[in-house]
Amino acid sequence: MKIAITGGKGGTGKSTIATALSYKLAKTKKVLLLDLDVDCPNDDLILRVKTEKVKDVESMIPKFDYKKCVKCGLCSRNCREHAIVFVKGNFPFVIPEQCIGCKACKIACPVNAISDSKQKIGEILLGKRKNLTLISGRMKPGIEESSLVVNAVKKFSEQYKNNDYIIIDTAAGTHCPVISALLGCDIALAVTEPTPLGQHDLELILKLAKKLKIKTSIILNRSNIADKRIIENLARRYKSEIIAEIPYSKEIEKNYSAGKPIEHKAIDQIMELIK
Amino acid sequence: MKTITILSGKGGVGKSSVTASLAVLLAKKHKIVAADCDVDAPNLGLLFGIKKFKNLERVSTNYKAFVNKKIKQCKNVKRLISVCAFHAISLDKGMPVINKFLCEGCGACKLLCSEGIELKKVENAKVGETKTNYGFYIVSGQIKVGESGSGNVVEVVKERARRIAQEIKADLIIVDSSAGIGCPVIASIRNSDFVVAITEPTPSALHDLKRALKVVEHFKISYGIIINKYDLNKKFAKKIENFAKKHKIPTLGRIPYKKDFVDAIIKMKPVVEINPEYKKIFEGIINKINKNYNRNPLFN
Repeated sequence: MKIAITGGKGGTGKSTIATALSYKLAKTKKVLLLDLDVDCPNDDLILRVKTEKVKDVESMIPKFDYKKCVKCGLCSRNCREHAIVFVKGNFPFVIPEQCIGCKACKIACPVNAISDSKQKIGEILLGKRKNLTLISGRMKPGIEESSLVVNAVKKFSEQYKNNDYIIIDTAAGTHCPVISALLGCDIALAVTEPTPLGQHDLELILKLAKKLKIKTSIILNRSNIADKRIIENLARRYKSEIIAEIPYSKEIEKNYSAGKPIEHKAIDQIMELIK
Repeated sequence: MKTITILSGKGGVGKSSVTASLAVLLAKKHKIVAADCDVDAPNLGLLFGIKKFKNLERVSTNYKAFVNKKIKQCKNVKRLISVCAFHAISLDKGMPVINKFLCEGCGACKLLCSEGIELKKVENAKVGETKTNYGFYIVSGQIKVGESGSGNVVEVVKERARRIAQEIKADLIIVDSSAGIGCPVIASIRNSDFVVAITEPTPSALHDLKRALKVVEHFKISYGIIINKYDLNKKFAKKIENFAKKHKIPTLGRIPYKKDFVDAIIKMKPVVEINPEYKKIFEGIINKINKNYNRNPLFN
């Protein structure tokens, strides 16, 4: 079973829940945890699992053969990412950070002056603790397209078979890297908090999950800091449900700050529901 | 006119809360415009009590590929599937099918088959503005659920903020970026004059801060950090300060963690409006931002 942990708003406790759930499940089951918050992966830090780089994530980048290039500018004109700079009369050149490796330039070039070269856009890291395998993606800072790294990690993880559970920790927000992480998941657990901000962003995630046709349940973190009815109402409207609540405690916050995975009965409730 | 951008790497460390309080205090002495560039999950408006924006403009910054419905037969399908770097094209009954969630709109397929593929602009966001109760304008963008291209939408939000700033002769634009370090954050940082990076005393937040600062350095923009919730783990906060000192990064301020922040969010007001004790802390931050801007005052 593939379970995504998401939520929209940042800092609601996605990684905390993803790691706590994986940690607990791994006591009896085989668990694969994918940290697909490739902008800012933290699951290794929370779990204190040492990870090692197992693979570079590379993407295609055009290499110009200036002997063949006729300075027509078609490569630049067909690059929708504005990654190729062309000034009339000069040779074109590429801005690597902006290139998403789509090869449109290569197809557009009338004289075959463009060949494939590669640039590193991130890396895949692997860590293990008994039944728990952690695979994290880390995008190279400065690169724009996080979803390319997300997809590379997902592809890489396919070789790790026979897991009872695959837990996918997504980034904050609702854009491409989150969509790429959610695609193919059986259910999503949206972690939120009962504030207007949590409510606002949760609604976006519920809408997104509906579009992607992924059943979504809600985990209400810091459930006692405000009136939780705003989340209950939202859950009802989207035919979703709150499956676990974790009240705020300074203890949990301090433990998190000290880098310890949390233990709470809510984690058992979640486990019960995903059985 | 100058632009200050607030970022953090890690989400939920207090970007919008800090931005809201800085904006309210700055607006007392300067003409400012606030821009919510977290277009995935925009929250800054909520902290000023704003739920709806005016003058909504539909934005289309993105393209997506569509299969031309008039075409009944496709000889290129295998080549189309292999040309798509994003694995968005698959085969169904001899015809190509495009997964709109995976399509990046790069147009590689269209270049290969100009008749069979149409590249259309899609509406991917709405951008609006509203005057806050605190006397300044806020511009906010919201990406359409399931659409991509947040970086380009950020550019549109910033452009609108710049236009308003020019009209009202504002001195400052304050930009609240999204979590992470990807395209929307890079678009937020671009052309900024100063970056304020927020962190908290947790291993995750420090790790993410370092990644975010790498991106800021890439753009050669001067920056400083704020340690939010510093009293949650004073030992770790000290560690962050030492890291900052070692790398000659100015620490612009330390903000204690109190329930006021939660109350402020629930009441949809900046924290300085809830508890005036915070004014001193945020005014201190503003002074330090000013001092640390390329060793020249950022504003007068």
